[in-house]
Amino acid sequence: MLAAAAIGCGPAPADRPPATAAQGIPRGGDLRVAVRTEPQSFNWYTRHDGSTYIVAALTQARLFQVNRATQEVEPWLAEGSTRSADGLQYTIKLRPNIVFTDGHPFTSEDVVFSFAAAYNERAGSILADAMKIAGKPLHVAAVDPLTVIVTFPMAFAPGLVLLDNMPILPKHKLQASLDAGTFGSAWGLGTPVAEIAGLGPFVLAEYVPGQRTVFARNPKYFRKDAAGVPLPYLDRVIVEVVPDQNAQLLQLDAGGLDMTGSEVRPEDYAPLKRAADAGRVQLLDLGVASDPDSFWINLRPGAFAGDPRAGWIQRDELRQAISLAVDRQAFADTVYLGAGVPVFGPLTPANKKWYSADLPHTPHDPAGAKTLLASIGLTDRNGDGVLDDPQNQPARFVLLSQKGQTALERGAAVIRDELKKIGLLVDVVPLEGNALVQRFLSGQPYDAIYFQFGMTNPDPALSLDFWLSSGDSRVWNLAQKVPATDWERQIDELMAKQITATAEAERKRLFDQVQRVFAAHLPVVHFVAPKIFVAASSRTTNLTPAVTRPQFLWAAETIAVKP
Amino acid sequence: MLSYLLRRLLFAAFLVFAVSSASMVVTRLAPGDYATGALGIGASQEARTQMRARFGLDRPFAAQYWDWLGRAVRLDFGRSLAYDRPVIDLIPERAANTALLALSALFLATIVGLPLGVLTGTYRGGALPGTVRAVSVLLLSMPPLLTSLLLVFLAARTGWFPIGGMRSIDSAVTGTGALDLLWHMVVPVLALAMPLTAMFERLQSQAIAEVVGQPYVLATLARGVPRARVIWRDALKAALRPAASIYGIVVGTLLSGSFAVEIITSWPGLGRLMLDALRARDVYLVAGCAAAGSAFLAAGTLLSDAALAVVDPRSTE
Repeated sequence: MLAAAAIGCGPAPADRPPATAAQGIPRGGDLRVAVRTEPQSFNWYTRHDGSTYIVAALTQARLFQVNRATQEVEPWLAEGSTRSADGLQYTIKLRPNIVFTDGHPFTSEDVVFSFAAAYNERAGSILADAMKIAGKPLHVAAVDPLTVIVTFPMAFAPGLVLLDNMPILPKHKLQASLDAGTFGSAWGLGTPVAEIAGLGPFVLAEYVPGQRTVFARNPKYFRKDAAGVPLPYLDRVIVEVVPDQNAQLLQLDAGGLDMTGSEVRPEDYAPLKRAADAGRVQLLDLGVASDPDSFWINLRPGAFAGDPRAGWIQRDELRQAISLAVDRQAFADTVYLGAGVPVFGPLTPANKKWYSADLPHTPHDPAGAKTLLASIGLTDRNGDGVLDDPQNQPARFVLLSQKGQTALERGAAVIRDELKKIGLLVDVVPLEGNALVQRFLSGQPYDAIYFQFGMTNPDPALSLDFWLSSGDSRVWNLAQKVPATDWERQIDELMAKQITATAEAERKRLFDQVQRVFAAHLPVVHFVAPKIFVAASSRTTNLTPAVTRPQFLWAAETIAVKP
Repeated sequence: MLSYLLRRLLFAAFLVFAVSSASMVVTRLAPGDYATGALGIGASQEARTQMRARFGLDRPFAAQYWDWLGRAVRLDFGRSLAYDRPVIDLIPERAANTALLALSALFLATIVGLPLGVLTGTYRGGALPGTVRAVSVLLLSMPPLLTSLLLVFLAARTGWFPIGGMRSIDSAVTGTGALDLLWHMVVPVLALAMPLTAMFERLQSQAIAEVVGQPYVLATLARGVPRARVIWRDALKAALRPAASIYGIVVGTLLSGSFAVEIITSWPGLGRLMLDALRARDVYLVAGCAAAGSAFLAAGTLLSDAALAVVDPRSTE
């Protein structure tokens, strides 16, 4: 009945050496990290800000975890799993002898409870969407204290990768709040830190509102390094709230901090390089980011009804012309001060497994762009250098972007200038981030948007909200009831096969096809992805940085500091 | 005098009500909301709807406002959406931190700025008054944001003072709490106090120069009373009116100025809390912070009016 183990054939996690483990790693000491805002909660199930994620990463553990550096899934609290022949059911064996920080044993009851909490949106969970397949929840049952069976509603190729979204919570601490419907407020910032129990490498030791959160080593943590030394190496992780990035940089340079919670801004590269050359910090080049910028035009059917521009503004040729008109290398040099890489689709080379290197690379071709625009009736009829539509109205649209984000503000200006060269007039309007997001999520009218948003998981099957026409991240035309175009229907069909295919090669082939269809119609035009640089003090060692945030702290258990 | 102070007290209450109401209205009516920011792109419409319902954001704004107002008169400013805690629990500590910063800066600016103003107002020539005047003009032209960046830079380069924060991590353990707090206050207090000191110096300088030229001062000097005694005992009291009259405004300026200083120096005050609340569209917390801020302003104005009434009783008429 049960096929070979899908995940967890290798050594159990406690025996698995951390990627960078080596002899002689110093043990002890404090790591000082800066974040810009304090956490909104100690409960990742109810708040999803970056600082709450760090709390979860340090104090909680998952059944399976995606290694952010290799993008491979690794069993964590689980010892391993077996998959049924139909691919719908996973039997997961839990590691024995694991206890929460308060000494309570971890069992399958905690796993079942965590799923129940995740799916209870009425009680305040905001994790449910991320834990569903095609809108349907997983079914979880405890077989014995160390075995659970997880049943998927449909065949789902990435399988247990989904569980990376969900830290396991202690039933004995939170069952009452879930029953009372107050789970949404559970483990808020007013909770005494001694009340918070977890399975992660650290335990919450102190929270000072507005100032810092202190995490101490969890002496009951279950993992050890290759030499059998219990992890984590650090005595404490001190997460300081430093709202201003310039102040963060100064503190890092002065030795008051060991690392920041995010990547280096392009404008900070030069001073940090000088500090690195002087031996005060380490500056690490992690390569290209996993998320590029995004430019799209409102493609909702009827969005331009009654507008004289309706004849051309939603045409594929316009977006293709825009893609041709922008010099991506110059864009990278201007916007990211050289620390950017031209991209031609929603995936960047950072996504090692799913990026298709065979996609056509759009050249910088303003003449070709003009030809394309002429094919949809946009030509310069009066010789003023501006393209006109067949009604002799100038070709013009409003580009919304996010205020306060330097890269986006510069990028929108570059797009405006590049399109002006081919006769398209663009009026850039910066909006505050929340207002901008609500503009397109709530279906309010707009012409075009330049923004940056991330697909949370490298596996496309876990970003269906972007790839399927019914998806809620389909920014150009959200949550379509039926696919609005043939090519979107084609992508839906390809993705339906892609998420159920069992052979990885077949999944890759299908997704390459999806990327080609996407590139042909360009619902979103991508220009550049920034290069990611991260900085850490020179006393930190054994770092395993990843391109996604938090670049260092996802593997905090193996970070060490020199005495 | 009593009725005058009562009138000012009523005005203070109105100010708190008006500012907090206006901030709530503006935050609520601005595009975007807490659910949009908290769930981000990719969350389903159902999830957003559910979150709005859970926090009561789906109700008509008028109903929300009246509910809030009904509770606010009992000093219950609602529950923060982002932190899921009563606003009244979040504000006092942050407000106290801001008050500590602002009052220390005000105290420092007063004890330094006013005497320097007397010095430059009474001794027009000479290197020292000239230098003081030049430095004052320079400091006045620098916003607190720039001053704090410069001071943070200096602190980072020299290592003399902490670059940010309010307390060292183990100060409670080592029992050095008060000293540690003072040490952390140096940079933010200086950042706030320096432009303020310059303003007091300029104001006091001009005021004392005018008073020193008055016939009654000249007559006193002519009678042989020592110049220092005339200036510091008689002329100073009369020349304090302009400084006293702007104390209320100064408190307001300090609060708005401390907003930037708190961000740069990582001081956990009201300004930073309000900024986070605004970013998150946490309407009730924004209104609570605005109420606390306006209470500061009202208290400052009240204090200023009282001081002015003491210095110049004609102002109560």
